[in-house]
Amino acid sequence: MSLLEALPRPQVSWRQWQPNSVLIFLACAMLAAIWLFDVVSVAPNRIVSGEGAGLIDAVGWLGALLVTSVIVTLVALALQPSRHGYQVALVGVLLLLLLMPFGLMVASNRLISGDTPGARLNMGMAYWCLLSFLLLCWVELRLRLVLLRRWTILLVLAVGLVWSLCATLGLEALALGQEFRARDAQFWRALREHITLVVVSVAISIGLGLSLTLLMRRYSKLQKSAFAILNFLQTIPSIALFGLMLGPLAWLAAQWPLLSQLGVSGIGWAPALIALVAYSLLPMVRNTYIALEQVSPDTLEAARGMGMRNSQRFWQVRLPLALPVLLEGVRITTVQAIGLTAVAALIGAGGLGSFIFQGLGQAAMDMVLLGALPILMLALMADAGLGALADVLRPRSDTARPGEIE
Amino acid sequence: MIELSHVSKRFGDVAAVDDISLHIEKGKFCALVGTSGCGKSTTLRMINRLIEHSDGEIILDGHPVAAYDPVKLRRRIGYVIQHTGLFPHWTVARNIGLVPRLLKWSSADVQAKVEELMSLLGLPVGEFAHKYPHQLSGGQAQRVGVARALAADPDILLMDEPFGALDPITREKLQDELARLQSQMHKTVVFVTHDMDEALRLADHLVVMRDGYIVQQGTPLSLLQHPNDPFVESLLGGLERGLKQAALTRVKDHMSPMGPTLPAQSRIPAAFSLLQGLSMMLRDHTDRLTVVDQHDVPVGELTLRKIVKEAQPEQGKVRES
Repeated sequence: MSLLEALPRPQVSWRQWQPNSVLIFLACAMLAAIWLFDVVSVAPNRIVSGEGAGLIDAVGWLGALLVTSVIVTLVALALQPSRHGYQVALVGVLLLLLLMPFGLMVASNRLISGDTPGARLNMGMAYWCLLSFLLLCWVELRLRLVLLRRWTILLVLAVGLVWSLCATLGLEALALGQEFRARDAQFWRALREHITLVVVSVAISIGLGLSLTLLMRRYSKLQKSAFAILNFLQTIPSIALFGLMLGPLAWLAAQWPLLSQLGVSGIGWAPALIALVAYSLLPMVRNTYIALEQVSPDTLEAARGMGMRNSQRFWQVRLPLALPVLLEGVRITTVQAIGLTAVAALIGAGGLGSFIFQGLGQAAMDMVLLGALPILMLALMADAGLGALADVLRPRSDTARPGEIE
Repeated sequence: MIELSHVSKRFGDVAAVDDISLHIEKGKFCALVGTSGCGKSTTLRMINRLIEHSDGEIILDGHPVAAYDPVKLRRRIGYVIQHTGLFPHWTVARNIGLVPRLLKWSSADVQAKVEELMSLLGLPVGEFAHKYPHQLSGGQAQRVGVARALAADPDILLMDEPFGALDPITREKLQDELARLQSQMHKTVVFVTHDMDEALRLADHLVVMRDGYIVQQGTPLSLLQHPNDPFVESLLGGLERGLKQAALTRVKDHMSPMGPTLPAQSRIPAAFSLLQGLSMMLRDHTDRLTVVDQHDVPVGELTLRKIVKEAQPEQGKVRES
């Protein structure tokens, strides 16, 4: 016994030392990006490509030190993770996200002199890397801390608010802002068109999807062929589907003047809407079908045994219990529709996609961003919003927080 | 009163239930026992028409069940299933009030009934009314299941292996409570189980089923004394049959008046079972116990000789001859 005690104790602590490799990788990638690539670039006008500026040129030694030290702190926290450490890391990530527009303001003051009024400030490679890696860090931390999706919405809103305030107050030179100011009314109209198309197409596909699912549940023979058709629709490339509808719709509009008075024609909103609904149906129907089928047979049997009629069973038991999974379908459908609507700009349906294609045509990347960034924001917000709604409606057992992971 | 006469259920060519006849008196507790797949659940579910019978007649309070609207029929029959089938998105109170609300009781009546049942089943209203089923333990959930079945004051209660998924201790506790409830409420209960001990403990009338037909039926004691089939005998526990019988017999049925000898040291209440008496004899190394009433006053004595003589009449005769 004494001999055993005299032997050196095996060190077990290093075995429990499990650094969070994801966070470490992301933080190192951020460090490398901000020191190796251009953070911003400055161009004298819209067409000429800009001249890059590194981190120190852009925000000075003080700014560079601040950013670097926050990221190094992230690495340090990730080396020895704990719940508390993750919370601090989360604050750090948020801080960086909120500081980023101020960095642009500093860069604009330092790099653009008053005598070149048309000069444009562009966000560089390092800036985009930093932004996307920070978002990935957020996702990782959200998973580790088991945060609910509603916090993601709050984050998007808070960061969006700070960014838009900065953009309106102190960033006249930012290329994106200049593009926006040049097309103010056009932008809001495009945003409205985009959202309208998405909302209407999702609403139609919810109605259509639900009725199709109910039919499929009643006539089980229908199920196989319906899924085959929907699967087939999903495989047609979106541009081809838009193109395919040109002919038939133009013909229909020519046959019935009423339709053309309503605005139906080979191009425009009508083919876009039909294509969007066609694409939305598969995820919608598939999720609705699974949602309704996964309700526990014990529960349904009990409902029958208690003397509930079929309709009572459907509306009071099956549908409410299916709702979270069903909403998941709506979420997937909506996010997909937001992206697809961008392509619909090609056939004249309007929306934010029009900026992307115009910008591509004019080789003006800022204009492409003016279309792409809001689409990204819309998709993120729809995803978080509908996800949070599903979380709220889920029977509470599923949202019960598992204990701390570490 | 429930009467099944020559009832069969066929799925295609396979007869799940084959020509069974069964008479359940009002207020009696009838247990259907058998191995899985013997048709006991099917029999139960034919009574509230969750399954329609193929042949024969099931008569409920003088009318064939086929004449009732199935939905209305089910609302007047309480139904408890193994995995409770509580609605996970409803609170305990709402789950219990389901059938009264289906019957369009006023909300005040529903609430009063829910509270009455919750206290009857030992679920404090303040603590449990607003909980969701996933927050309950298995035993609590099944109490809610029983409360839900009793909510509309049905005369008939169908229970399909209600305690099958519970741990032995909880199961025993709920069995006791069901026995207590039944002694207060006198419902007509049809209880399906594969646990013979549970059936012996609760039932007034025991029905043993195998392969869709009834092997034997009668009171638990009569089955224990005269199993007419090796299958019934093995279900009844083979060698332990004597002890099971003792568990069903009260001490007071076997006690003799106080003898002239000194009363024995060990005392047993008259309401205890013979099995408990035997156990006490083994524990205290004695063949004689003093039987006392609820006020601990001696009223008689219990002797091993007498128990052995009376417990198994046939064996007693063999020994005497």
